[in-house]
Amino acid sequence: MPELWLTRLFNDHLAGLANWILNTVHMPAIDPAHPWQNWLVMELLVVAGIFVLLPIVRARLSVDQPGKLQHLFEITYEFVLEQEHEAGIEHGAEAYVPYFGTLFIFILFMNLLGIVPTFESPTMNAAVPLGLALCTFFYYHAKGIKQHGIGRYLLHFAGPIPALFLLMVPIEIMGHLARVLSLTVRLYANMFAGDQVTESFLGLTKLAIPAVFIALHVFVSLLQAYIFMLLSMIYVSIATEHAEETA
Amino acid sequence: MRSKMIFFAMVALLLIATPMFAQGTAPAAGATTNWKPALAGIGMAIASGLCGLGQGRAVAGASEAMARNPGAMAGIRFALILGLVLIESLALYTLVIIYTV
Repeated sequence: MPELWLTRLFNDHLAGLANWILNTVHMPAIDPAHPWQNWLVMELLVVAGIFVLLPIVRARLSVDQPGKLQHLFEITYEFVLEQEHEAGIEHGAEAYVPYFGTLFIFILFMNLLGIVPTFESPTMNAAVPLGLALCTFFYYHAKGIKQHGIGRYLLHFAGPIPALFLLMVPIEIMGHLARVLSLTVRLYANMFAGDQVTESFLGLTKLAIPAVFIALHVFVSLLQAYIFMLLSMIYVSIATEHAEETA
Repeated sequence: MRSKMIFFAMVALLLIATPMFAQGTAPAAGATTNWKPALAGIGMAIASGLCGLGQGRAVAGASEAMARNPGAMAGIRFALILGLVLIESLALYTLVIIYTV
């Protein structure tokens, strides 16, 4: 993937900073002249955008005369809350909205950044979805441990029938790791494949057909952001559910 | 008349074999055939085909359920989208393997 103009700007002026950070954690850059990668610069751009947008919303909050931006974020908040109820989180749903709302907005903006002409979606690189999936992994385990206590939470890994725990524990562990893998690969492959398909059709014809694939990219961006958030909610609801009564 | 048309259509199908003329001589001794693109194509085709079948069944079940019970449309639509995305991701795992191998 060739260097974007923003990445080149970072590499020209801030290469020293990146090299210092990488050397401090003992992971020197492959090419010290270009330590900044496209995906990192794009991700930081989205973070900067959100850091600019949200204080504007906060400053303009009003009960009597809500503006358009406030309406938009109220809709998003209600949407996330409703999806939590659909995903199975019964009580304490409001406490989870910050994480899931941030996840949804962050992934959505990152995916949609690929439509802007000289930028690319940072989720096109496997590192970014992996980071998000690991955040979700640690989040739902943390919520489960907070709800049940660490002893009882680890006991859940033994499955419903205690006698089968030798069989169930490896399967459960693999299942949890598979969740991280599936979250990562689903987001990464959708974004990456969408870009590849657009490129191959651009190679065939430059007339009007590639625009259809940009529209597909928009639809897939929305859907994948929603699905990532929804699956994270489902994992949190599984981790924090109370034991069912036996029939 | 109709059987003549079918006959000519089948002969026209043989034209698919014209790339055969582009075949050069056999590869030089020591050159190994490159199986990866061919197998990648076959693997991805199988994955996409089975994914299509699975998603077709999901949509069929959802459409029938929505027709029988229009009041439950929101819940059925939710289950449908979730199911479609999970089935889609199975085909995408194959795509990722192709790009890493």
